[in-house]
Amino acid sequence: MRQQITDIKINSHTSGEADECLFEYLHSEMVNYALNKSCKNKEGEEELSRLEWMGFSVGYRIIERLTREWNRFKDELDMIKFICTDFWSSLYHKQIDNLRTNHHGVYVLQDNSFRLLNKVGANSNKQYLQESPRLLAFTCGLLRGSLANLGIISTVNAEISTLPSCKFHVQVQRI
Amino acid sequence: MTIHNLYIFSKNGTLLYYAEWNRLNKSGITKAEEAKLMYGMLFSIKSFVSKISPLDPKEGFLYYKTSKYTLHYFETPSGLKFVLNTDNVTQNARELLQQLYREVYLEYVVKNPLCQLNEPIQSELFKLKVDELFKKSPLFLSRSI
Repeated sequence: MRQQITDIKINSHTSGEADECLFEYLHSEMVNYALNKSCKNKEGEEELSRLEWMGFSVGYRIIERLTREWNRFKDELDMIKFICTDFWSSLYHKQIDNLRTNHHGVYVLQDNSFRLLNKVGANSNKQYLQESPRLLAFTCGLLRGSLANLGIISTVNAEISTLPSCKFHVQVQRI
Repeated sequence: MTIHNLYIFSKNGTLLYYAEWNRLNKSGITKAEEAKLMYGMLFSIKSFVSKISPLDPKEGFLYYKTSKYTLHYFETPSGLKFVLNTDNVTQNARELLQQLYREVYLEYVVKNPLCQLNEPIQSELFKLKVDELFKKSPLFLSRSI
């Protein structure tokens, strides 16, 4: 973990307000687009697989760039740690607040103030709780895609109990 | 120094948000009607000011003052209108309105993907932040008149 991703660090220092919100606006338009394109399925749940797939391809590509200065990872936990620290801070300008694992392929990544949610609601505020899962589908895909390129096949789910904190459950699939 | 109430109007005159803190005299009409009257008056004042001005009116209408209260007006280039009623000794209300626009409206309405623009603001977080901003402002000293 000694090596730093130099150009990412420089970028995050010089990044002004504009380039940060560009991603946020684009993301919210992607969510709207994906929801418009798909009809709701039988249970009335929103169809978010397209969004998840977009995230997957972005994550798959992004990991090439983020890891180019790195040595090989020791093991799975090392990769997850990389995701929690450098990956997350280069994308969301903060690190994952809490990482838990059962050491059998289940990881829970908790972010107490997730960037795509912290403008939507604050604690003890139930408003928008229904709608906010759609803002996490892209990030779920992002996680799954980047892990896939590191050689971990997984499924990723997200869970929100109180805004703006959320948990990502990563379940590694053993073959 | 006291802040009475706040209106936010969209470009085409929809009342986006209304909040009041120390308002003793009620208008006696519904909030929707009151908002229409308010917007109509502001619209008239704006065009009056720009017509009657002997010089190039750079910022146009800024505020008016009666014997009891002052109405501060701040309009963004996009046509969003912030209206704040305070008592007559309050200063720098314009800066407060700019701060409201920059730090609360932009952050919690424009950057909230679940908020529709140009429709009345529903977000609870926005309401909370507006209240917070005004209550921590030095202009806000609730005092019975």
